Amino acid sequence: MTEAIAGGHERASSLWLAAVFGILAVAPFIIVGPGATFRARLLLTVLIFACFAIALDIVFGQTDQLFLFLGALAGVGAYSVAGVTDWMGISPWIVLPFAALLAGLIGLTVSYVASRRRMTIIVIAILTLSLQLVSEVVFDSWISLTGGTTGIFFDGLEIPFLIGLFDSIFDPRVGGRIATYYFLLFGLVIIVLLYRHMMRSKYGLAYRAIRQDEIAAESVGINVIKYKVIAGFSAAFIVGAVGPFYAQSEAVVTPSLFTFVRVDVIVLIMLVLGGMRTLTGPIIGAAFVVYLNELLRFAERWTTAIFGFLLIILFLYFREGVIPKGRELWYERGGQALMRNLRMRLSGG
Amino acid sequence: MISSFVQVSIDGFARGLILAMLGAAITLVFGLGSILNIAIGAFTVFAVIVAVWSTTVVVHPFAGAIVGIAAVALLSLVVDQVMLSSVYRSEGEERITVGIFTTLGLEIMLASMLAVMFTASYGVSHDSFLLHVGDVRIRSSSLLIIAVASAVLGVLFLFLRNTYLGKATRTVFQDEIGAQLCGINPRRIRTLIFVLSGILAGIAGILWSVQAPMRPGDAFTFTVFAIIVSIVGGVRNIRGTIAAGVLLGLVWTYANFWIGSWIAMVILFSVAIVVLILRPEEIS
Repeated sequence: MTEAIAGGHERASSLWLAAVFGILAVAPFIIVGPGATFRARLLLTVLIFACFAIALDIVFGQTDQLFLFLGALAGVGAYSVAGVTDWMGISPWIVLPFAALLAGLIGLTVSYVASRRRMTIIVIAILTLSLQLVSEVVFDSWISLTGGTTGIFFDGLEIPFLIGLFDSIFDPRVGGRIATYYFLLFGLVIIVLLYRHMMRSKYGLAYRAIRQDEIAAESVGINVIKYKVIAGFSAAFIVGAVGPFYAQSEAVVTPSLFTFVRVDVIVLIMLVLGGMRTLTGPIIGAAFVVYLNELLRFAERWTTAIFGFLLIILFLYFREGVIPKGRELWYERGGQALMRNLRMRLSGG
Repeated sequence: MISSFVQVSIDGFARGLILAMLGAAITLVFGLGSILNIAIGAFTVFAVIVAVWSTTVVVHPFAGAIVGIAAVALLSLVVDQVMLSSVYRSEGEERITVGIFTTLGLEIMLASMLAVMFTASYGVSHDSFLLHVGDVRIRSSSLLIIAVASAVLGVLFLFLRNTYLGKATRTVFQDEIGAQLCGINPRRIRTLIFVLSGILAGIAGILWSVQAPMRPGDAFTFTVFAIIVSIVGGVRNIRGTIAAGVLLGLVWTYANFWIGSWIAMVILFSVAIVVLILRPEEIS
């Protein structure tokens, strides 16, 4: 079940993918009413974190390199775009690719060093965690560069012609957010399709071989370092590119956006909940966690504690993902037969 | 200049011994059962809060400290029995991963629960005074920390070196199957050492709070300190960990005093990163 990407239920998974994207495409029309800026922001958050979760899936799910500095990478992307835009007075859209590239190169370097030095999961985890924490200190304290805890005001990444369109369809108060939503959705579709394409090519095979036995993979001529570095670069590039949109959705670049607890822990919960090495898992996980966070609003300041508890339970009992596990149970308990039975009765009258 | 150097060195040494205790708490548990206890920082803060809170009942801060340490020992025992038992069921690389995430979840859960319930900053009170030795002014609290921490670390070494349980612990460290053949139950030893590591973390926290009160939000910082010290010293090497603790304590305090606090943190992390890159095989 965990290898759903690599084939097996090919047609079913394509349909499933189309369904998920279909839902995401109509979601604003169903969820966002006039003036519902808060809901528009939540939808945006789902997409942003879905991108983060897919990035983590590429690097951690496929190659076992546990990157625990997604917050830092997103921060690098956001701070470079906001800072350089301010400093050079050019459009953030021009800076964005370079910022993503910068984050990608950081990921590439870490991956290269890690695989050169034959680091195990735990070493990479601690290494990247140290990088994350050092970045948090820098974001917080290098005030001349980052604006410290007040941050840098940031709203340049807007899409003027789309905003006009959505302003007229929805409401001028939510139009901007919806425009960004569809832009990110477009990006997400491309990322997922590329990911799927990659997993169906020799890359998918190579990643599976590396995951099962690195030394055996090397002995049949797979360049392990190259494949790991590609995964590290892609993941970091995605996070670096999405980071500025994350900051934009909050209208300001501040250190508190990019902390370990606020980004990495949450993304990890999303990925494990949705299921690693599945195409839609990270998206569903992201949507579920954002929704859960809203449900837990009554718990107020206890929410973080609840997420900590959730992390424990997830890793003790649902390591291979709640959704894959649920699907497995569904097949085991004859859920399909039940459905068929039901359909027959309904159509038979 | 020289007098301030001596003062800072003494403070740094005191802080280094605390870091050494935190590092030892990580090293013991990781060496024994491959679980990197991320929750150590929450244990540290928990002990301090219970100690301060119970001082209202038991009057003397020392009695409060004892209550705090007893409470953290109990907490570690519960965590070991309820949570870690499930983690020990998996093996090898998987146990390491599951161990990281479950203890991370525990850290987040405990620290944020404490943050909700206790919003002030907490420190065990101690009437600190300055000792004048020539030009040098020494904080009595630093001397207290050095005395208590050395004693605790000394007892730890004596325990590991001379007692039956200590020898059994070192046997499991070196060769688990061999230990089992000698009739040692590794699971029992792990429970014992986990409680011991909780106590170490608790004492470290209480000593730290004598000089600098802490908030529940600081829990993760202590985890990070503990992990850095443990990595720099070699995660399966207790002597190395203690040396690393003292060294990093000194370096950090010097950097704090002469360069600035956030650069000192950056230096601390950089040391950890360099060590990880140079000797990744130490931790696996």
